[in-house]
Amino acid sequence: MSVVYSLKNVVKERLIDGVGFRLVVPKIQISAQENIALIGHSGCGKSTLLDMLALILRPDQGDEFNLHPMDGDSYDIAGIWQRDKQGKLSQIRKQHVGYVMQSGGLLPYLTVRENIELPRKLLKLPDDDSIISISRVLGIERQLDKLPGLLSAGERQRAAFARALSHRPSILIADEPTSALDPISAQKIMAVVMEVIRGLKITLITASHDWAHVYKMELRTLKQEAKAVEDGKIYQSRFSD
Amino acid sequence: MAQITNIVRLSFRDYSHEWRMSSCFILALASVLAPMMILFGLKFGIVSTMVNELVENPVNREIRPIGSGRYNDAWIDALRNRQDVEFIVPKTRALAATIQLKSDRAKRILSTELLATAAGDPLLAGLSSVPQDYHQVILSHSAANKLNVKTGDRIDASLSRQFRGKRERVHLQLNVIDTAAASVTTRNVAFVNLELLIASELFKDGRAVQALGWHGNSDDSIERVFPSFRLYARSIHDVERLVADLEKEGARIKANVSEITTVKSIDQNLSVIYWVIACVGALGFAFSLGASLWANVDRKRKELSVLRLVGFKSGRIVMFPVLQSCYTALLGWLVAVLVYLAFEYLINFFLAPRLNLDRALCFLLTEHFLWALVLTLVIAIFAAIVGGIRAARIEPSDGLRDL
Repeated sequence: MSVVYSLKNVVKERLIDGVGFRLVVPKIQISAQENIALIGHSGCGKSTLLDMLALILRPDQGDEFNLHPMDGDSYDIAGIWQRDKQGKLSQIRKQHVGYVMQSGGLLPYLTVRENIELPRKLLKLPDDDSIISISRVLGIERQLDKLPGLLSAGERQRAAFARALSHRPSILIADEPTSALDPISAQKIMAVVMEVIRGLKITLITASHDWAHVYKMELRTLKQEAKAVEDGKIYQSRFSD
Repeated sequence: MAQITNIVRLSFRDYSHEWRMSSCFILALASVLAPMMILFGLKFGIVSTMVNELVENPVNREIRPIGSGRYNDAWIDALRNRQDVEFIVPKTRALAATIQLKSDRAKRILSTELLATAAGDPLLAGLSSVPQDYHQVILSHSAANKLNVKTGDRIDASLSRQFRGKRERVHLQLNVIDTAAASVTTRNVAFVNLELLIASELFKDGRAVQALGWHGNSDDSIERVFPSFRLYARSIHDVERLVADLEKEGARIKANVSEITTVKSIDQNLSVIYWVIACVGALGFAFSLGASLWANVDRKRKELSVLRLVGFKSGRIVMFPVLQSCYTALLGWLVAVLVYLAFEYLINFFLAPRLNLDRALCFLLTEHFLWALVLTLVIAIFAAIVGGIRAARIEPSDGLRDL
């Protein structure tokens, strides 16, 4: 399996007057079609790491931050951030990454169908039956013409997954996508999602809660440890293979 | 291109989805813009009505000599050549400039004042022809009525004098080539070629007019001088200077200088007051519009971050609030124009008659509306770009974590 993400000594700090939080990634390698779970308590930097992997958060340091979303494509993400090539990052994101936010992040003024179509429209992909089929699989086929405000929390998250997957990205990043749902709904949704990503051969990286344990045989968990450093001024969290 | 089309579509969808909030922005804009337009409409209407009245009515540009002077052809020509003089024509002595007119359609003989005219006479502006020879006349409205004649009719004109102890009368056929508007004068006036006016004076003075076969003394050595003239400045702004120049030459002059000065100073004072209010208003308008649009961009941070997350470039993201500001600017301007037009109608309908004004008290030209639109758009776009750039600079992850 080829390596999708390769990170070495990547650091992100959130400090005010030298006090705050530091995320350190000594080394992570994520292979294609791997399913990664970031497990840790609240505030340990799961979302920060996911945002960096989704190319929406600039790392402060990094000896290596490479992305190989598919055969032939290879990007030096650390270099692109350094040169502040935001357009390039948008382009990579648009093409290769699907992102599901904790709150869904659906645009409230578009119908569910239009939300799901949006990434495809940006890539000028043809109007085929992929919207219908992904909606059917995720069980929101009948909600397509509704505005997100009219959906239940579970339906909204299903729609968010559909949007993140509609353009067939090679990477799906999900930031605690089921945290707002009851455990039964969460497990139901994740069962469907796991099936879809297996079928589409997508690399999944997610921050997770309890449901992750259900799929622990299928998910690789990154090692996470945290401690106070520099006289207790900085809370430092490490994620590594 | 796909991104631009999508941003236009998305910004409009969001704008109409949040129609309550959008309406608030539109009304907020209109509530600042409409009073400014009404204020400007009043200022423009009142002053331009007064100025127009002064400019358009030639009486206000007329400069009249008081009493009799001695003005020769060269002096009058020199004045005619001045840039600030629109029209000048000599006048003869009042007693010599009276003629008796008679028509077949009226019983009475009408004693009529003779006034010389020529091409470009402001009193006869709008008429297609001017008297070219001894036999053509333009009658004042009153004279034409009393003689019961119209354009194309022929009338008999006669002059009388005491010459060498005998009373003499000469007759002349005149063609009525036009009639002056009633507003020009209420007097009985015959506008004629200068030659006929001079001939009339020569005849009354007992001198011969060869061209008309009127006998009398002939003494060509006497230089022709006129006791008076009819002079019109090119604009009301030229009157004051012309009067001053003529008075320097010793002429005793009368003109509507004080009235013109009053209107000019009202114009200046109103302009100052207006511009002070307008500047303060425009500043307030710019700040309130800018602040509300800025606030809107801040409110939209999360949604703008989502758009970046799905792959929109920063430059396109700036377009989102800019386009929405343009919608607000356009619709707010439209509402302001409608409010203004309603007030304009009410003011002109109820207030203008009370002030005995024939003209509108409050009005704006099309270009004023367009200027208001341009100003609104410029402020709106500027405010949105400033806010939009700020939103586009924020890393998408920060925006996503806002809520």
